[in-house]
Amino acid sequence: MRPISFIVALTLVAIASPIAAQGFKPTKPIEFVTHTGPGGGGDVLARAIAGAMEKEKLMPVRMQVLNKTGGGGHTAMSYLVEKRGDTHTIAVFTGLWFTNPLMRPEANITLKDLTPLVRLVLEPAMLAVKNDAPYKTLKDFIDAAKQNPGQLKQSAGSIGARDWVVRQLLMKNTGASWAYISFPGGGERIAALLGGHVNIMLIEPQEAGEHIRAGNMRVLAAISEQRLPAFPSAPTLKEAGFDVPNVPQPRGILAPPGIPAEAVAYWEDLFAKFVKTPSWRKILEDGLFEDGFQRSAELNKFIDQYSETTRGILREGGIKVVR
Amino acid sequence: MEVIVYLLQGFAVALSPLNLMWCFIGCFLGTVIGILPGLGPAATIAMLLPLTFKMDPTGAVIMLAGIYYGSKYGGSTTSILLNVPGESASVVTCIDGYQMAKRGRAGAALGIAAIASFIAGTVGVLGLMLVAPPLAKFALSFSSPEYFALMCLGLAMVVLLAGESMTKALLAMLVGLWIAGMGTDLFTSTSRFTFGNAEMLDGIDFVVVAIGVFALGEVLGNMEGRSGTQMLPVPKGLRNLLPTWQDLKDCRFAFFNGSVIGFLIGVLPGAGSTIASFISYGIEKAVSRHPEKFGTGVVEGVAAPEGANNAETGGAMVPLLTLGIPGSGTTAILLAAFILWGLRPGPLMIQDNPTLFWGLVASMYIGNVMLLVLNLPLVPLFAQILRLPAYVLYPAIFGISIVGVYSTSSSLFDVWMLGAFGLIGYAMRKLEYPSAPLILGFVLGDGMERALRQSLMMSQGDLSILVSRPISATMLFLTVLILVAPLFKKANAWRVRALG
Amino acid sequence: MAKSGDIVSGAVLAGLGVFIIVEARGWEYAGPDGPGPGFFPLWYGVCMVALSVLLVAMSLAQRASVPAEPVNWREIGRALAAWAGLALCVGFLKILGFLLAFGLFTFFLVAVMYRRPLGTAAAVSVGAALGFYLLFPLALNVALPIGKLGF
Repeated sequence: MRPISFIVALTLVAIASPIAAQGFKPTKPIEFVTHTGPGGGGDVLARAIAGAMEKEKLMPVRMQVLNKTGGGGHTAMSYLVEKRGDTHTIAVFTGLWFTNPLMRPEANITLKDLTPLVRLVLEPAMLAVKNDAPYKTLKDFIDAAKQNPGQLKQSAGSIGARDWVVRQLLMKNTGASWAYISFPGGGERIAALLGGHVNIMLIEPQEAGEHIRAGNMRVLAAISEQRLPAFPSAPTLKEAGFDVPNVPQPRGILAPPGIPAEAVAYWEDLFAKFVKTPSWRKILEDGLFEDGFQRSAELNKFIDQYSETTRGILREGGIKVVR
Repeated sequence: MEVIVYLLQGFAVALSPLNLMWCFIGCFLGTVIGILPGLGPAATIAMLLPLTFKMDPTGAVIMLAGIYYGSKYGGSTTSILLNVPGESASVVTCIDGYQMAKRGRAGAALGIAAIASFIAGTVGVLGLMLVAPPLAKFALSFSSPEYFALMCLGLAMVVLLAGESMTKALLAMLVGLWIAGMGTDLFTSTSRFTFGNAEMLDGIDFVVVAIGVFALGEVLGNMEGRSGTQMLPVPKGLRNLLPTWQDLKDCRFAFFNGSVIGFLIGVLPGAGSTIASFISYGIEKAVSRHPEKFGTGVVEGVAAPEGANNAETGGAMVPLLTLGIPGSGTTAILLAAFILWGLRPGPLMIQDNPTLFWGLVASMYIGNVMLLVLNLPLVPLFAQILRLPAYVLYPAIFGISIVGVYSTSSSLFDVWMLGAFGLIGYAMRKLEYPSAPLILGFVLGDGMERALRQSLMMSQGDLSILVSRPISATMLFLTVLILVAPLFKKANAWRVRALG
Repeated sequence: MAKSGDIVSGAVLAGLGVFIIVEARGWEYAGPDGPGPGFFPLWYGVCMVALSVLLVAMSLAQRASVPAEPVNWREIGRALAAWAGLALCVGFLKILGFLLAFGLFTFFLVAVMYRRPLGTAAAVSVGAALGFYLLFPLALNVALPIGKLGF
C-alpha cells in the first residue's frame, strides 16, 4: 500500500473507533408505547416520564407517547413484536402484561418474548371502606367476614387482577370469605363503595387521596412493604397481623425483541440516571409510588418469580392457567 | 342566592377575552369532530392534552369542555344528511333525521337538531349549577340492580321501535345482544365468541357496527338502482331550509323530554348518551299523538334524541366535578387532565377551586350560545351537500366510513368488520328487519348482562334484590307496562272487531 | 322478497341460535359467585331459536294464502357487486394504501356501477382521493391506511 493511503486508512480507523465504541444513541424521536388509553395508568406515567426527561435534558431526542389499547395489553405487546429490532421504540409495562398471557389463550405473547429493560416502580394499594362502616381495622372486617361468610362484598376489577390476588391470599390465610364483584372502571368501583352497595375495595393511593381527604373513605391497611408516607396511620398487611406476601403492581420499561446489546445498555444507564433526578422524585411523590428500580438482569429474575407466584395463586383460585 | 353571586363571578372569568377565545376554539373543534364520523371527542381531547400543559387550567378546561359538548352539536349533521352517525349518540337521530332529509326537509331537521341541542345543553348546565350536590348523592344510590332495570327499560324501547314485525325486531335485538357479548367476559376473563382471534378480545367497536349497518347498508341499498344523479331532494324554500314555527311548537315536549332524560341519565356514571337518546326517543314516541309516524321523518323524532345527547354532557359533569368520579370515557380523560394540571378532582374540588368551577359553568352557557350561532347559519350550507350527484356522494360515504373506522383504532381488522356489517345492514334492509333494535341490543347488551350478574353477586343469587329496591322496582314495573301495552291495544282492537 | 326471505333468514337465525347455545354450554352457567359467562348467551340463544322458528312457521302459514313476491335478483346483484368492490378495496388497503385503493374503487363505482363516461370517472376518483388526502392527513392529522408504496 502506498504511504499516503495507509495514513488515510489509519486516520479513518482512528476516527471510526471512538464512534463505534460509544455504542447506541437515539437519533430520531422515540416511540413510547402504552397499553392504556389516554388518561389511563400507563399513559399518565408515560407522559410524566417523557415530560421529565425533557426537563432534565437527559436525551437528545423527544419521546412520543403512542397508545395501543386493547386485548388486555396484547395489542401493545404484539405491536412491539412487529417492531422487532427497532431501537427507537420502548414501552411501559404494568402487572397486566404478566397476568394477561397466563389466562387467555389468544394472548400469546409473554414478557419473555420482549426485551425487559428496567423496573421503575411498585405501585402500592390500600384497602378502604366507607367512612361510616363499622370496621376500624382490617381485623374487624375479617372477623365480620368470618361470621357472615360470603355476605360482605368487595368491588374490584376482573379475576386475576391484583384486587383478586390480594383477596385470595387473605381468604386463604384467614379462612374468611367474601364476595368479589367486578366493575369495569375505577369510577364505578368507587361509586359502589361510596353508595354503600359494597363493603370494601382495593384502591390505588392516588385515586383514594381526595375521597379520604373529604372524609368519605377510611383506609384499613396498605398493600406495600413500608407504610405509605401519605397515609402514616394505615398499617401494612404484615403490621396488621396478616402474614401474606406483599402484592405490588410493578411498572417498568421494556423494548421490542431482538435489539442489540448496546441499545439495552444505553436504556438501562439512561433510566439509572433518570431515577436519581429531582423530576423523578416528584413523579414518585405525586403518584404515591414506591421506588422499585431494577436493571434488566434482576428484572428478568423478578419476572420469572412473579409469574410463577401468580400461576400458583390462579390455580388455587380455580382459574385455568394456559401458559 | 349565593349561587347567583358565584355565577356572576364565573361570568367575569369566562368573559375574559382569553377564555372566550379558548371557548370558541373548543366549540369549533368540537363541531368539526362531531361532524366527522369515527373521530370522537375522547380521542381529540387526548391528542390536545400535551398542548394544554402550558395553559392556565381554567382556560384549558373551558376549551376541552367546549370540544366535548360541541361534538354533540356536530354529530347530527352526517346522521341527517347521509345516515352516517357522526358520533355514537347520534345513531338515534339517523332514524327520523334521515327520513326528513329524504322528504326534502334536511334543513329543518338540521335546524331543529341545533335548537334542541341548545335548549338541552343550557338545561344541562342549569342542572349542573343548581342541583349538582343532591343529584350526585342520588347518583350514588344507583347501583347494579338499578342499572339493570334501566337497561331493561331501554330494551323495552324495542317494542316502541318495532314497526311492522315484532318478531323480526326482537330477533334483531337478540343479534345485537350476541354481538355485544363478543369479547372478554369482565368477571372471569373468559373469551366469548372471539373465534380465536386476538383482535376480537375487546369485542367489536360501536362505530364499526353503527356505520356499517346504518350507512353502508343504506348505500348498498341505493346501489341497486342505476341512476347516478340526485340522491336526496335538495331542500327548497325557507320552509325546508329551517324549521318552521309549527315545527317548534310540535317539539315543545321533545325539548323538555330530551333535556331532562339526557341530564338525569348523564349523571349516572356508566350510562351513556346513546341510552339517553334511545330512551328519550322512546318516550317521545310513546306520548305522541301520532306514534305510527315515527320513523318516517317527524321533527320530534330528531329533537328528543338530539336534546338528550346534549343534556347528557351537563349531567356527566356532575359526578366528575362533585365526586371526582368519571361517568364516561371522555370524562375519564378530563379527570386525568385535572390530575395532570395539578388539580385534585374529588368531593372537595369545587370548594378548593371555585374560580375554575364557576368559570367553567359560565363558559358552558356561553359555549351553548356560540354553538347555536355557529351551527344555525351553517344549516343551509350543509344542506347544499345534497346537491352533489349520487356518483360523487356515495363513493365519498364509503371513503368517510372507512376513514372514520380506521381513525378510531388504526386496525384494518376493524375495517373488514365494517365491510361485514355493511353486508349485514344491506341484508337486513332487504329482509325487512329493522336495524334500530340491533343497535339498541348492541349498546345495552353488555351493560345489562354485567348489571344483572353484579346484582346477583350482591344478593348471592337472590333475584328479589331487583324488586326490593324502590328505584329498580319502579323501572322494572315501567318496563313491564311498556311491554304489555301493545298487547292490551291488540286485545282491545280484537274485542272491538268481535263486537262490531 | 319478504316472504321467502323470511323462511331463509328464520332458518339462518335458528342455526345461529343453536350455535350460540352450543358455545354457551361450554362455559360456566352459574359459578359460586353468581351467573357465569354461559348464563346470558344460553338464554338469548334459546330466545333466538324460539323466535326464528316462530318466524318460519308464520311465513309458511302465510305463504299458503299470499303468493310470494318475485325476487329482483338483478338489483341485488348490483348491490352485491358494489359490496364486492368494497371488499376488494379493503383487501388492497394494506398493499396499495388508502388513497390508491379508494381511488380505484371510486373509479369502479362511477364507471361501472353508474355507467358514467370514463373521463368523469377518472375526474371523480382523482378528485375524491385528493380531497381525502387534503382533509385527513394534512388538515386534521388523521392517519390514513398506508400501503407498501409508502402513501
